[in-house]
Amino acid sequence: MKSATTIYQEGSHRWVVIARDQAKPGFVIDTNEYLISRDGDNLLTDPGGSEIFPAVFAALATVVDPMSISRLFASHQDPDIISSLGLWLDCNPQIRCHVSRLWDSFIPHFGGDDHSLQAIPDEGQHIPLGLGQLEAIPAHYLHSSGNFHLYDPDARILFSGDVGAALLPDDHNELFVRDFDQHIRHAEGFHRRWMGSNEAKLDWCERASRLKIDMMCPQHGAIFQGDDVMRFINWFAELPVGLSTFRHRRHS
Amino acid sequence: MSTQALQHSSSQQLASFVRLNEGIKGVVLIAFQINIMALNAILLAHRAGEVALGFGVISKELRTLSVELTALMQALSSDAYQAVNLISDLLRRERRQRLLEATRGQLAAPLPALDTILAERLQVFQNRALQVREVRLRLLDRLEEARKLCQFGTAISRSAKIEAAYGREYGRALAEVSQDFDQKIQAILPSIETLCAGMQRI
Ligand SMILES: [Fe+2]
Ligand SMILES: [Fe+2]
Repeated sequence: MKSATTIYQEGSHRWVVIARDQAKPGFVIDTNEYLISRDGDNLLTDPGGSEIFPAVFAALATVVDPMSISRLFASHQDPDIISSLGLWLDCNPQIRCHVSRLWDSFIPHFGGDDHSLQAIPDEGQHIPLGLGQLEAIPAHYLHSSGNFHLYDPDARILFSGDVGAALLPDDHNELFVRDFDQHIRHAEGFHRRWMGSNEAKLDWCERASRLKIDMMCPQHGAIFQGDDVMRFINWFAELPVGLSTFRHRRHS
Repeated sequence: MSTQALQHSSSQQLASFVRLNEGIKGVVLIAFQINIMALNAILLAHRAGEVALGFGVISKELRTLSVELTALMQALSSDAYQAVNLISDLLRRERRQRLLEATRGQLAAPLPALDTILAERLQVFQNRALQVREVRLRLLDRLEEARKLCQFGTAISRSAKIEAAYGREYGRALAEVSQDFDQKIQAILPSIETLCAGMQRI
Protein backbone atom coordinates (compact mmCIF):
# COMPACT_ATOMS: atom_id res chain seq x y z
CA MET A 1 0.00 0.00 0.00
CA LYS A 2 1.32 3.40 -0.91
CA SER A 3 0.98 6.23 1.55
CA ALA A 4 0.33 9.93 1.14
CA THR A 5 2.59 12.44 2.89
CA THR A 6 2.20 16.20 2.77
CA ILE A 7 5.57 17.79 2.03
CA TYR A 8 4.44 21.40 1.67
CA GLN A 9 1.43 23.34 2.85
CA GLU A 10 0.64 27.03 2.78
CA GLY A 11 -3.08 27.72 3.16
CA SER A 12 -4.89 25.76 0.45
CA HIS A 13 -1.65 25.37 -1.47
CA ARG A 14 -0.25 21.90 -0.88
CA TRP A 15 2.12 19.24 -2.24
CA VAL A 16 1.52 15.63 -1.28
CA VAL A 17 3.80 12.77 -2.24
CA ILE A 18 2.44 9.28 -2.86
CA ALA A 19 5.39 7.02 -2.33
CA ARG A 20 6.84 3.69 -1.35
CA ASP A 21 4.61 0.89 -2.31
CA GLN A 22 5.80 -2.05 -0.24
CA ALA A 23 3.13 -4.28 -1.71
CA LYS A 24 3.76 -3.52 -5.37
CA PRO A 25 4.77 -6.46 -7.59
CA GLY A 26 8.57 -6.75 -7.62
CA PHE A 27 8.73 -6.59 -11.40
CA VAL A 28 7.44 -3.01 -11.67
CA ILE A 29 9.59 -0.03 -10.75
CA ASP A 30 8.55 1.96 -7.69
CA THR A 31 7.38 5.46 -8.49
CA ASN A 32 6.52 8.69 -6.70
CA GLU A 33 3.40 10.59 -7.62
CA TYR A 34 2.86 14.17 -6.48
CA LEU A 35 -0.48 15.80 -5.90
CA ILE A 36 -0.38 19.58 -6.18
CA SER A 37 -3.46 21.35 -4.86
CA ARG A 38 -4.34 25.00 -4.77
CA ASP A 39 -7.69 26.73 -4.25
CA GLY A 40 -9.55 23.46 -4.79
CA ASP A 41 -7.75 22.74 -8.05
CA ASN A 42 -5.88 19.41 -8.12
CA LEU A 43 -3.14 18.23 -10.44
CA LEU A 44 -1.26 14.94 -10.28
CA THR A 45 2.26 14.55 -11.68
CA ASP A 46 3.37 11.38 -13.49
CA PRO A 47 0.33 9.38 -12.32
CA GLY A 48 2.11 6.10 -12.96
CA GLY A 49 1.55 2.77 -14.61
CA SER A 50 -1.79 0.98 -14.78
CA GLU A 51 -0.68 -1.86 -12.50
CA ILE A 52 -0.09 0.53 -9.62
CA PHE A 53 -3.22 2.60 -10.28
CA PRO A 54 -5.21 0.96 -7.45
CA ALA A 55 -2.48 1.73 -4.91
CA VAL A 56 -2.06 5.34 -6.11
CA PHE A 57 -5.79 5.98 -6.22
CA ALA A 58 -6.38 4.51 -2.78
CA ALA A 59 -3.52 6.51 -1.24
CA LEU A 60 -4.82 9.70 -2.87
CA ALA A 61 -8.29 8.99 -1.50
CA THR A 62 -6.91 9.43 2.02
CA VAL A 63 -6.08 13.10 1.33
CA VAL A 64 -8.38 14.25 -1.47
CA ASP A 65 -11.48 13.19 -3.40
CA PRO A 66 -9.66 11.44 -6.25
CA MET A 67 -12.53 12.28 -8.60
CA SER A 68 -11.72 15.96 -8.10
CA ILE A 69 -8.32 15.59 -9.76
CA SER A 70 -8.94 17.44 -12.98
CA ARG A 71 -5.47 17.47 -14.46
CA LEU A 72 -2.51 15.20 -14.92
CA PHE A 73 1.01 16.20 -15.86
CA ALA A 74 3.15 13.64 -17.67
CA SER A 75 6.85 14.51 -17.74
CA HIS A 76 7.20 12.19 -20.73
CA GLN A 77 5.67 9.17 -22.45
CA ASP A 78 7.02 6.18 -20.52
CA PRO A 79 4.66 3.43 -19.32
CA ASP A 80 5.69 3.95 -15.68
CA ILE A 81 4.61 7.59 -16.12
CA ILE A 82 1.30 7.52 -17.88
CA SER A 83 0.00 4.05 -18.82
CA SER A 84 -2.71 4.54 -16.18
CA LEU A 85 -4.28 7.32 -18.26
CA GLY A 86 -7.07 5.07 -19.53
CA LEU A 87 -8.07 4.24 -15.97
CA TRP A 88 -8.02 7.89 -14.93
CA LEU A 89 -10.27 8.65 -17.87
CA ASP A 90 -12.60 5.81 -16.87
CA CYS A 91 -12.97 7.52 -13.50
CA ASN A 92 -13.18 11.02 -14.87
CA PRO A 93 -13.75 11.45 -18.61
CA GLN A 94 -13.16 15.20 -18.20
CA ILE A 95 -9.60 14.82 -16.94
CA ARG A 96 -6.86 16.56 -18.97
CA CYS A 97 -3.27 15.48 -19.29
CA HIS A 98 -0.47 17.94 -20.06
CA VAL A 99 2.38 16.37 -21.99
CA SER A 100 5.04 17.32 -24.55
CA ARG A 101 3.65 17.92 -28.03
CA LEU A 102 5.91 15.08 -29.15
CA TRP A 103 3.82 12.50 -27.38
CA ASP A 104 0.23 13.64 -27.66
CA SER A 105 -0.39 11.22 -30.50
CA PHE A 106 1.57 8.35 -28.95
CA ILE A 107 0.00 8.29 -25.51
CA PRO A 108 -3.50 7.51 -26.87
CA HIS A 109 -2.17 3.95 -27.18
CA PHE A 110 -2.56 3.96 -23.38
CA GLY A 111 -5.87 5.82 -23.52
CA GLY A 112 -7.13 9.33 -24.18
CA ASP A 113 -7.42 11.33 -27.39
CA ASP A 114 -6.71 14.80 -28.77
CA HIS A 115 -9.33 16.13 -26.39
CA SER A 116 -7.85 14.70 -23.20
CA LEU A 117 -4.20 15.35 -24.11
CA GLN A 118 -2.97 18.92 -23.95
CA ALA A 119 0.24 19.42 -25.86
CA ILE A 120 2.99 21.46 -24.22
CA PRO A 121 5.12 23.36 -26.77
CA ASP A 122 8.88 22.68 -26.79
CA GLU A 123 9.68 25.95 -25.02
CA GLY A 124 7.39 25.07 -22.09
CA GLN A 125 4.42 27.00 -20.77
CA HIS A 126 2.58 28.20 -17.69
CA ILE A 127 -0.02 25.85 -16.33
CA PRO A 128 -2.58 27.59 -14.13
CA LEU A 129 -3.46 25.95 -10.83
CA GLY A 130 -6.10 27.63 -8.69
CA LEU A 131 -5.19 31.29 -8.47
CA GLY A 132 -1.51 30.57 -9.00
CA GLN A 133 0.44 28.91 -11.72
CA LEU A 134 3.00 26.23 -12.36
CA GLU A 135 5.71 26.28 -15.02
CA ALA A 136 6.40 23.41 -17.39
CA ILE A 137 10.18 23.63 -17.73
CA PRO A 138 11.89 22.02 -20.74
CA ALA A 139 14.15 19.10 -19.91
CA HIS A 140 14.34 17.53 -23.34
CA TYR A 141 16.60 14.51 -23.83
CA LEU A 142 16.70 13.99 -20.05
CA HIS A 143 15.91 11.25 -20.74
CA SER A 144 13.03 11.53 -23.19
CA SER A 145 13.32 13.72 -26.31
CA GLY A 146 10.09 15.46 -25.32
CA ASN A 147 10.47 15.94 -21.58
CA PHE A 148 9.26 18.50 -19.04
CA HIS A 149 9.70 19.24 -15.37
CA LEU A 150 7.12 21.13 -13.35
CA TYR A 151 8.15 24.09 -11.23
CA ASP A 152 6.04 25.67 -8.54
CA PRO A 153 7.58 29.13 -7.97
CA ASP A 154 5.49 29.88 -4.87
CA ALA A 155 6.23 26.58 -3.11
CA ARG A 156 9.76 26.60 -4.58
CA ILE A 157 9.43 22.96 -5.49
CA LEU A 158 10.65 21.38 -8.71
CA PHE A 159 9.14 18.12 -9.88
CA SER A 160 12.04 16.72 -11.88
CA GLY A 161 10.71 13.49 -13.41
CA ASP A 162 13.50 11.00 -14.03
CA VAL A 163 16.21 13.59 -13.27
CA GLY A 164 17.34 13.00 -9.71
CA ALA A 165 15.81 9.53 -9.76
CA ALA A 166 17.44 6.84 -7.66
CA LEU A 167 16.82 3.11 -7.76
CA LEU A 168 16.90 2.43 -4.04
CA PRO A 169 17.30 -0.98 -2.44
CA ASP A 170 14.17 -2.33 -0.74
CA ASP A 171 15.30 -1.42 2.78
CA HIS A 172 15.92 2.25 1.83
CA ASN A 173 12.53 3.82 2.21
CA GLU A 174 13.34 7.29 3.43
CA LEU A 175 11.24 10.02 1.82
CA PHE A 176 14.03 12.63 1.86
CA VAL A 177 17.69 12.21 1.04
CA ARG A 178 19.53 11.94 4.36
CA ASP A 179 23.10 11.38 3.29
CA PHE A 180 23.77 12.82 -0.16
CA ASP A 181 26.98 10.89 -0.83
CA GLN A 182 25.42 7.60 0.20
CA HIS A 183 22.24 8.28 -1.73
CA ILE A 184 23.77 9.43 -4.98
CA ARG A 185 25.43 6.07 -5.50
CA HIS A 186 21.99 4.66 -6.22
CA ALA A 187 21.39 7.41 -8.78
CA GLU A 188 24.64 7.25 -10.70
CA GLY A 189 24.08 4.21 -12.92
CA PHE A 190 20.59 5.38 -13.77
CA HIS A 191 21.71 8.85 -14.85
CA ARG A 192 24.69 7.59 -16.84
CA ARG A 193 22.60 5.20 -18.87
CA TRP A 194 19.21 6.90 -19.06
CA MET A 195 20.30 10.48 -19.72
CA GLY A 196 21.12 10.81 -23.36
CA SER A 197 22.94 14.07 -23.84
CA ASN A 198 25.70 15.95 -22.03
CA GLU A 199 24.71 19.10 -23.88
CA ALA A 200 21.10 18.83 -22.71
CA LYS A 201 22.27 18.01 -19.21
CA LEU A 202 24.52 21.10 -18.93
CA ASP A 203 21.81 23.31 -20.36
CA TRP A 204 19.36 21.98 -17.77
CA CYS A 205 21.88 22.37 -14.90
CA GLU A 206 22.50 25.94 -15.87
CA ARG A 207 18.78 26.79 -15.92
CA ALA A 208 17.98 24.79 -12.79
CA SER A 209 20.73 26.50 -10.82
CA ARG A 210 19.02 29.85 -11.46
CA LEU A 211 15.67 28.66 -10.04
CA LYS A 212 14.89 29.00 -6.37
CA ILE A 213 14.39 25.40 -5.33
CA ASP A 214 13.77 24.25 -1.77
CA MET A 215 12.80 20.73 -2.79
CA MET A 216 13.58 18.73 -5.89
CA CYS A 217 11.13 15.86 -6.30
CA PRO A 218 12.04 13.00 -8.64
CA GLN A 219 9.72 10.30 -9.94
CA HIS A 220 11.80 7.51 -8.39
CA GLY A 221 13.68 7.52 -5.09
CA ALA A 222 14.01 10.19 -2.41
CA ILE A 223 13.41 13.95 -2.44
CA PHE A 224 16.35 16.38 -2.36
CA GLN A 225 15.95 19.39 -0.10
CA GLY A 226 17.92 22.43 0.97
CA ASP A 227 21.57 22.35 -0.03
CA ASP A 228 21.23 18.87 -1.48
CA VAL A 229 19.42 20.39 -4.45
CA MET A 230 22.45 22.40 -5.53
CA ARG A 231 24.66 19.49 -4.60
CA PHE A 232 22.68 17.36 -7.02
CA ILE A 233 22.85 19.93 -9.82
CA ASN A 234 26.65 20.18 -9.44
CA TRP A 235 27.02 16.41 -9.27
CA PHE A 236 24.89 15.97 -12.39
CA ALA A 237 26.82 18.67 -14.26
CA GLU A 238 30.03 16.72 -13.66
CA LEU A 239 28.64 13.28 -14.48
CA PRO A 240 29.45 11.93 -17.93
CA VAL A 241 26.25 10.60 -19.49
CA GLY A 242 25.03 9.11 -22.74
CA LEU A 243 26.61 7.08 -25.47
CA SER A 244 30.25 7.80 -24.58
CA THR A 245 29.83 6.15 -21.18
CA PHE A 246 29.11 2.62 -22.27
CA ARG A 247 30.00 0.14 -24.96
CA HIS A 248 26.94 -0.56 -27.03
CA ARG A 249 28.59 -2.59 -29.77
CA ARG A 250 29.25 -6.22 -29.51
CA HIS A 251 32.84 -7.02 -30.35
CA SER A 252 33.35 -9.97 -32.60
CA MET B 1 -18.38 -15.00 -13.20
CA SER B 2 -15.28 -13.40 -11.72
CA THR B 3 -13.29 -11.03 -13.92
CA GLN B 4 -10.42 -13.46 -13.90
CA ALA B 5 -12.63 -16.30 -15.09
CA LEU B 6 -14.03 -14.01 -17.78
CA GLN B 7 -10.52 -13.09 -18.83
CA HIS B 8 -9.67 -16.74 -19.12
CA SER B 9 -12.70 -17.54 -21.22
CA SER B 10 -12.20 -14.46 -23.42
CA SER B 11 -8.63 -15.39 -24.24
CA GLN B 12 -9.86 -18.90 -25.03
CA GLN B 13 -12.52 -17.46 -27.31
CA LEU B 14 -9.96 -15.24 -28.98
CA ALA B 15 -7.75 -18.24 -29.67
CA SER B 16 -10.65 -20.27 -31.04
CA PHE B 17 -11.72 -17.51 -33.43
CA VAL B 18 -8.17 -17.20 -34.67
CA ARG B 19 -8.10 -20.99 -35.18
CA LEU B 20 -11.45 -20.77 -36.96
CA ASN B 21 -9.96 -18.37 -39.46
CA GLU B 22 -7.15 -20.82 -40.16
CA GLY B 23 -9.67 -23.63 -40.69
CA ILE B 24 -11.67 -21.43 -43.07
CA LYS B 25 -8.60 -20.95 -45.25
CA GLY B 26 -8.37 -24.73 -45.65
CA VAL B 27 -12.00 -25.03 -46.72
CA VAL B 28 -11.68 -22.13 -49.17
CA LEU B 29 -8.71 -23.84 -50.79
CA ILE B 30 -10.64 -27.09 -51.31
CA ALA B 31 -13.68 -25.17 -52.60
CA PHE B 32 -11.40 -23.53 -55.13
CA GLN B 33 -10.11 -26.96 -56.24
CA ILE B 34 -13.68 -28.24 -56.61
CA ASN B 35 -14.50 -25.23 -58.74
CA ILE B 36 -11.63 -25.90 -61.16
CA MET B 37 -12.42 -29.60 -61.17
CA ALA B 38 -16.08 -28.93 -61.93
CA LEU B 39 -15.12 -26.59 -64.76
CA ASN B 40 -12.99 -29.33 -66.32
CA ALA B 41 -15.78 -31.82 -65.78
CA ILE B 42 -18.24 -29.54 -67.59
CA LEU B 43 -15.85 -29.36 -70.56
CA LEU B 44 -15.38 -33.11 -70.49
CA ALA B 45 -19.12 -33.68 -70.41
CA HIS B 46 -19.48 -31.31 -73.33
CA ARG B 47 -17.00 -33.39 -75.35
CA ALA B 48 -18.72 -36.63 -74.40
CA GLY B 49 -21.98 -35.21 -75.72
CA GLU B 50 -25.27 -36.98 -75.20
CA VAL B 51 -23.90 -39.80 -73.03
CA ALA B 52 -22.75 -37.29 -70.40
CA LEU B 53 -25.67 -34.89 -70.31
CA GLY B 54 -26.58 -35.84 -66.75
CA PHE B 55 -22.96 -35.67 -65.71
CA GLY B 56 -22.70 -32.15 -67.12
CA VAL B 57 -25.72 -31.02 -65.09
CA ILE B 58 -24.24 -32.48 -61.92
CA SER B 59 -20.88 -30.81 -62.57
CA LYS B 60 -22.62 -27.45 -62.88
CA GLU B 61 -24.35 -28.11 -59.59
CA LEU B 62 -20.99 -28.82 -57.98
CA ARG B 63 -19.53 -25.69 -59.43
CA THR B 64 -22.38 -23.63 -58.00
CA LEU B 65 -21.86 -25.41 -54.71
CA SER B 66 -18.19 -24.48 -54.61
CA VAL B 67 -19.04 -20.82 -55.29
CA GLU B 68 -21.66 -20.83 -52.54
CA LEU B 69 -19.27 -22.50 -50.16
CA THR B 70 -16.60 -19.90 -50.88
CA ALA B 71 -19.05 -17.06 -50.27
CA LEU B 72 -20.14 -18.70 -47.05
CA MET B 73 -16.56 -19.04 -45.91
CA GLN B 74 -15.92 -15.38 -46.72
CA ALA B 75 -18.88 -14.39 -44.58
CA LEU B 76 -17.60 -16.67 -41.82
CA SER B 77 -14.20 -15.10 -42.08
CA SER B 78 -15.57 -11.58 -41.71
CA ASP B 79 -17.67 -12.74 -38.74
CA ALA B 80 -14.55 -14.21 -37.17
CA TYR B 81 -12.72 -10.92 -37.78
CA GLN B 82 -15.52 -9.01 -36.09
CA ALA B 83 -15.45 -11.46 -33.20
CA VAL B 84 -11.70 -11.04 -32.77
CA ASN B 85 -12.16 -7.26 -32.61
CA LEU B 86 -14.98 -7.52 -30.09
CA ILE B 87 -13.07 -9.93 -27.92
CA SER B 88 -9.90 -7.83 -28.02
CA ASP B 89 -12.00 -4.93 -26.76
CA LEU B 90 -13.50 -7.22 -24.16
CA LEU B 91 -10.05 -8.27 -22.96
CA ARG B 92 -8.96 -4.63 -22.66
CA ARG B 93 -12.09 -3.87 -20.68
CA GLU B 94 -11.60 -6.89 -18.48
CA ARG B 95 -8.12 -5.72 -17.53
CA ARG B 96 -9.38 -2.26 -16.67
CA GLN B 97 -12.33 -3.69 -14.81
CA ARG B 98 -9.98 -5.86 -12.78
CA LEU B 99 -7.81 -2.84 -11.89
CA LEU B 100 -10.80 -0.69 -10.99
CA GLU B 101 -12.17 -3.47 -8.81
CA ALA B 102 -8.77 -3.77 -7.15
CA THR B 103 -8.91 -0.01 -6.58
CA ARG B 104 -12.26 -0.30 -4.87
CA GLY B 105 -10.85 -3.13 -2.76
CA GLN B 106 -7.98 -0.98 -1.56
CA LEU B 107 -10.02 2.07 -0.57
CA ALA B 108 -10.22 2.68 3.16
CA ALA B 109 -13.68 4.21 2.81
CA PRO B 110 -16.30 3.50 0.13
CA LEU B 111 -16.40 5.91 -2.81
CA PRO B 112 -19.90 5.93 -4.35
CA ALA B 113 -18.67 7.67 -7.52
CA LEU B 114 -16.34 4.74 -8.19
CA ASP B 115 -19.14 2.25 -7.53
CA THR B 116 -21.27 4.03 -10.14
CA ILE B 117 -18.45 3.90 -12.67
CA LEU B 118 -17.87 0.23 -12.02
CA ALA B 119 -21.56 -0.54 -12.44
CA GLU B 120 -21.73 1.42 -15.72
CA ARG B 121 -18.65 -0.27 -17.05
CA LEU B 122 -20.00 -3.66 -16.12
CA GLN B 123 -23.12 -2.87 -18.13
CA VAL B 124 -21.08 -1.97 -21.24
CA PHE B 125 -18.97 -5.02 -20.66
CA GLN B 126 -21.97 -7.30 -20.55
CA ASN B 127 -23.36 -5.73 -23.72
CA ARG B 128 -20.09 -6.48 -25.47
CA ALA B 129 -20.15 -10.05 -24.21
CA LEU B 130 -23.67 -10.33 -25.61
CA GLN B 131 -22.50 -9.05 -28.98
CA VAL B 132 -19.78 -11.68 -29.03
CA ARG B 133 -22.41 -14.29 -28.29
CA GLU B 134 -24.53 -13.06 -31.21
CA VAL B 135 -21.60 -13.24 -33.61
CA ARG B 136 -20.83 -16.72 -32.35
CA LEU B 137 -24.40 -17.89 -32.94
CA ARG B 138 -24.36 -16.39 -36.42
CA LEU B 139 -21.11 -18.24 -37.08
CA LEU B 140 -22.64 -21.49 -35.94
CA ASP B 141 -25.63 -20.93 -38.27
CA ARG B 142 -23.33 -20.37 -41.19
CA LEU B 143 -21.28 -23.42 -40.31
CA GLU B 144 -24.47 -25.46 -40.21
CA GLU B 145 -25.35 -24.12 -43.64
CA ALA B 146 -21.90 -25.10 -44.88
CA ARG B 147 -22.36 -28.59 -43.51
CA LYS B 148 -25.67 -28.98 -45.30
CA LEU B 149 -24.07 -27.77 -48.48
CA CYS B 150 -21.37 -30.41 -48.14
CA GLN B 151 -23.93 -33.11 -47.47
CA PHE B 152 -25.70 -32.07 -50.64
CA GLY B 153 -22.31 -32.17 -52.35
CA THR B 154 -21.76 -35.71 -51.14
CA ALA B 155 -25.10 -36.76 -52.52
CA ILE B 156 -24.53 -35.24 -55.93
CA SER B 157 -21.00 -36.53 -56.21
CA ARG B 158 -22.48 -40.00 -55.67
CA SER B 159 -24.96 -39.28 -58.47
CA ALA B 160 -22.00 -38.27 -60.61
CA LYS B 161 -20.54 -41.75 -60.07
CA ILE B 162 -23.75 -43.31 -61.26
CA GLU B 163 -23.93 -41.00 -64.26
CA ALA B 164 -20.35 -41.91 -65.13
CA ALA B 165 -21.42 -45.51 -65.59
CA TYR B 166 -23.47 -44.42 -68.62
CA GLY B 167 -20.51 -42.65 -70.15
CA ARG B 168 -19.53 -45.42 -72.60
CA GLU B 169 -16.08 -44.62 -74.00
CA TYR B 170 -15.90 -41.62 -71.60
CA GLY B 171 -16.94 -43.84 -68.72
CA ARG B 172 -13.47 -44.17 -67.20
CA ALA B 173 -12.61 -40.50 -67.40
CA LEU B 174 -15.96 -39.54 -65.92
CA ALA B 175 -15.61 -42.14 -63.17
CA GLU B 176 -12.23 -40.68 -62.23
CA VAL B 177 -13.62 -37.17 -62.05
CA SER B 178 -16.57 -38.26 -59.93
CA GLN B 179 -14.15 -40.07 -57.62
CA ASP B 180 -12.14 -36.84 -57.22
CA PHE B 181 -15.32 -34.90 -56.48
CA ASP B 182 -16.23 -37.33 -53.77
CA GLN B 183 -12.77 -37.17 -52.21
CA LYS B 184 -12.74 -33.39 -52.14
CA ILE B 185 -16.18 -33.16 -50.58
CA GLN B 186 -15.20 -35.78 -48.02
CA ALA B 187 -12.12 -33.73 -47.21
CA ILE B 188 -14.19 -30.64 -46.46
CA LEU B 189 -16.73 -32.26 -44.18
CA PRO B 190 -14.33 -33.06 -41.30
CA SER B 191 -12.95 -29.48 -41.47
CA ILE B 192 -16.46 -28.11 -41.14
CA GLU B 193 -17.19 -30.51 -38.28
CA THR B 194 -14.02 -29.38 -36.52
CA LEU B 195 -14.97 -25.74 -37.00
CA CYS B 196 -18.43 -26.42 -35.58
CA ALA B 197 -17.03 -28.33 -32.61
CA GLY B 198 -14.49 -25.57 -31.93
CA MET B 199 -17.25 -22.97 -31.86
CA GLN B 200 -19.61 -24.99 -29.69
CA ARG B 201 -17.02 -25.68 -27.02
CA ILE B 202 -16.53 -22.03 -26.09
FE1 LIG C 1 11.30 7.52 -18.09
FE1 LIG D 1 10.72 6.93 -14.73
